[in-house]
Amino acid sequence: MTDLTHIRNFAIVAHIDHGKSTLADRLMEHAGAVSKRELKAQMLDDMDLEREMGITIKANRCSMKYKFEGEEYLLNLLDTPGHVDFHYEVSRALTACEGVLLLVDAAQGVQAQTVANAYLAVEAATEIIPVINKIDLPGAHPEDCALELEHVLGIPADEAIFTSAKTGQGIDELFAAIIKRMPPPAPDPEDKLRALVYDAKNDVHRGVITHVRLFGGTMKRGDKMRFVAAGSERIVTEVGKFTPKPGAVDSLSAGDVGYVLASIKTIADVNIGDTITLAHNPTTRPLPGYQAPQQMVFCDFFPGPGTETPDLRDAFEKLWLNDSSFTYETTSSDALGIGFRCGFLGLLHMKIIQERLEREGDVNIVQTAPTVTYEVELKDGTVMHIESPSELPDLSVVADIREPICKASVIVPAAYIGDVLKISLERRGTHSKTEYLSPTRVMLNFEFPLGEIIYDYYDRLKSATKGYGTADYDVTGFRSDNLVKLDILVNAMPVDALSVIVHRDKAANRGRRLIQRLKKEISRHQFEIPLQAAIGGKIIARETIAAMRKDVTAKCYGGDISRKRKLLEKQKEGKKRMKQVGMVAIPQGAFMSILDPGD
Amino acid sequence: MNKEISDHNLGLYLHWPFCESKCGYCDFYSVPLKGRDVAPLLDAFAIDLRSRVAECDKQIDTIFWGGGTPTTLEDDNLSIALGHIQNATSNHPIREFTIEANPATVDERKAATLVDLGVTRVSLGAQSFHQNELSALERLHTPRDVPEAIRIIRAAGITHYNIDLIFGIGGQTLASWQESLARAVELEPPHLACYGLTYEHGTSLTKQLKLGHIEACDEQLEADMFLACKDYLERCGYEQYELSNYAKPGHQCLHNLIYWKNGSYQAVGPSAAGCLGNIRFKNVSDINEYIRLINSNGHAIADREIIGETERALEGLMMRMRLIDGLDLADFLRCTGINLIENCRNAIARLTDSELIVCDESKLRMTRRGLLMADTVIRELASELDPPSGMSLNVVASRPIGDA
Repeated sequence: MTDLTHIRNFAIVAHIDHGKSTLADRLMEHAGAVSKRELKAQMLDDMDLEREMGITIKANRCSMKYKFEGEEYLLNLLDTPGHVDFHYEVSRALTACEGVLLLVDAAQGVQAQTVANAYLAVEAATEIIPVINKIDLPGAHPEDCALELEHVLGIPADEAIFTSAKTGQGIDELFAAIIKRMPPPAPDPEDKLRALVYDAKNDVHRGVITHVRLFGGTMKRGDKMRFVAAGSERIVTEVGKFTPKPGAVDSLSAGDVGYVLASIKTIADVNIGDTITLAHNPTTRPLPGYQAPQQMVFCDFFPGPGTETPDLRDAFEKLWLNDSSFTYETTSSDALGIGFRCGFLGLLHMKIIQERLEREGDVNIVQTAPTVTYEVELKDGTVMHIESPSELPDLSVVADIREPICKASVIVPAAYIGDVLKISLERRGTHSKTEYLSPTRVMLNFEFPLGEIIYDYYDRLKSATKGYGTADYDVTGFRSDNLVKLDILVNAMPVDALSVIVHRDKAANRGRRLIQRLKKEISRHQFEIPLQAAIGGKIIARETIAAMRKDVTAKCYGGDISRKRKLLEKQKEGKKRMKQVGMVAIPQGAFMSILDPGD
Repeated sequence: MNKEISDHNLGLYLHWPFCESKCGYCDFYSVPLKGRDVAPLLDAFAIDLRSRVAECDKQIDTIFWGGGTPTTLEDDNLSIALGHIQNATSNHPIREFTIEANPATVDERKAATLVDLGVTRVSLGAQSFHQNELSALERLHTPRDVPEAIRIIRAAGITHYNIDLIFGIGGQTLASWQESLARAVELEPPHLACYGLTYEHGTSLTKQLKLGHIEACDEQLEADMFLACKDYLERCGYEQYELSNYAKPGHQCLHNLIYWKNGSYQAVGPSAAGCLGNIRFKNVSDINEYIRLINSNGHAIADREIIGETERALEGLMMRMRLIDGLDLADFLRCTGINLIENCRNAIARLTDSELIVCDESKLRMTRRGLLMADTVIRELASELDPPSGMSLNVVASRPIGDA
């Protein structure tokens, strides 16, 4: 057992792609937690999808021992996701730490999520050590980065440590700083078990693995533990640490980060943020816990061809055992049948969940375009929240429609201010503040309707700034505006999944563009297909997809069979992403065409 | 006949890769002859032929010699090649032996050689009876060559012959198409193949189309041509038995029926494709490489593919639906284990509602409108075709939302 003064709990936070996982790998390797041979790139990203996409989705952890000035320290490291969708994972991780490494790419400088994460760290009252990484890159300018940090966040530039996680340069200094500058866990005067549940994973063989950080007391195998909020009691069957593979230990004590097994069958039985204590000697001071992640983006998942609703439900249930960051509930669409309305933290999160469902659940999904939550006030004073335009009640009973508003900060090279203002104002943004981080880089603050930026603002920002712009946002509330519901009719049939809520001034234009996009997405059929956009029953735009007159392969003999079959297989695969609405097959792309706000 | 073909009989496809010149629409493997020495290829061809035929554990009863243009062979070489074929298949009860020919490549001597050495059927690439259309297709012969070739073939005693025609050529009119059809029918062929022009990848016509040098036929006009052809030929006593093939009673091409009924066929020659049971293979598409491989390995197979049950079912659907007589549901069930009516219930309902197919208890077949939309029909059916799986339908209650 290590005494508290020799424990450091810290997280690495950074903007996406600034090298968190590589730095985590390098630290583990230096401390000898993993051998060079074991070290496949990005040790802590253990989900296939994380490795493939090169991003961290879930916060990950590793305990390592490090000898410093003749004494052995136990260092508990948490690697956190950098993408804005996973802020809540970062804030969770921070409550289990006393310090953070705020990592900045030496070539890219401070970015929007650097700032956002730094604020989270300040809120959690953790010690911040700025780390300027990738100093081996030709374009690196570490001193300037340190100055930016000082300017934006008030962290003295001379506190920054320069590293290259790739070459190992600066890693020893970093270890020294972690041990000297970060506080050890505070001793708990009460000395009763208080363990914060910061994550939980489902393991097929061992049941739920509950990830904990102990703030007081000790726990060991055989203890009768109690979840304070849930009130349930369990017998501890194993405690352990991640090094980085999970391994059993005799006991966990205050300051430790590790895991608990207690024959828990489903993740629904574990509340992230709950406090674990001992049943016979309970704490009276449970830890503050977390706010549940707030789903911001909603869309519907319908079973694609070859998948039935129960299959999709099974896939959801299976995935939910492992990841409760999304929500789902049964929904039905007049056009598309029975499906699931899902809530996500953002678009990347949505994409990841969809991929995991398809991969891990072996289902085909047809997905509708994501929308945001609207607040609707009815004439009788009732206020309701709708997650899809199709839920909007008849306008005769609606008094007001309010859309979610967010505050966004955008960091760009000063040369692109004009371009960024242009794309932002087009998205109904209001510009509130301009702050120079350095003579060449600037932070712009905006207020946006969330629905205007959630789909493609990042992409537009990236292309308007040659990839240098970054953005971060925070939802602040709802605001009333002149909003209407735009309906789309395909072959005279309203397709509820294609409806959108838009600002009245933009409706006609949007409707026209939308059906023009649809015209490109839907292939010709053997009959003519009218496409119409309507507001409250009034047609505002119309296009027609011409009928196909002839669709027949003239020659098909022995030498053609293989090639033709492969073509058919490809088309069959394509059809999996189509939804049959009446007589018309609507491809996945058509549902997404709603997203194009155009120029 | 169906079962007879798929289970017991074997076709033999031979590919001769030389032509006088490459036609603008052709995507088969062929190269211009240009005075090349064909002897090394003939030798390799003979070795390939002997070993392929020896490998067969079933009786070959149809032969189809295509290309390229086999009749570009000089008479003596033609005799040698046919001699090889006759020797190799002497123990097999050949019911039909087709050779492909181009109008200007047949003379009396060659025709006599064909008959002497076992050929029973000639397929003549006439394509059109209008010079401007033949030029557009980059064909070498003239409209006059066609009746002359037919006269020679008939004089030699060949009664089974086919005329190939193409419609949907840029600049072609409905009237000119109908005239070509009438001129062909005057020659009393027992079999006609009428193809809509297809712009295949990599062909001269496709390049010209992409560059905007030529214009494709209007889709509606092409559809009109297809139906005009069907109606006219049916009035003349022909029966449409496949999307592009018409025959007088008793004159259907037995060899091609093997393809459409997913039977087995051996393959000989560069680029020839074969299928034996669940194995598909294709010879290398290069004459020199073919010769080298035959001489060193005894075969020149470049691609081999094992067809799984799902693929097999897809091929079955794709090919059998081309037959006007339709797809025999009981036969399909027997061959693939798939009850199509159950498996593709929704697609069948949609296609029936759209009047593209009719479905009775025993067969699924296309309507007149469906023939024009055959690819749509096949795609729709294929999209739902799936081997049966043990799918449970119990509905479980939705999980509550949130985690804290």
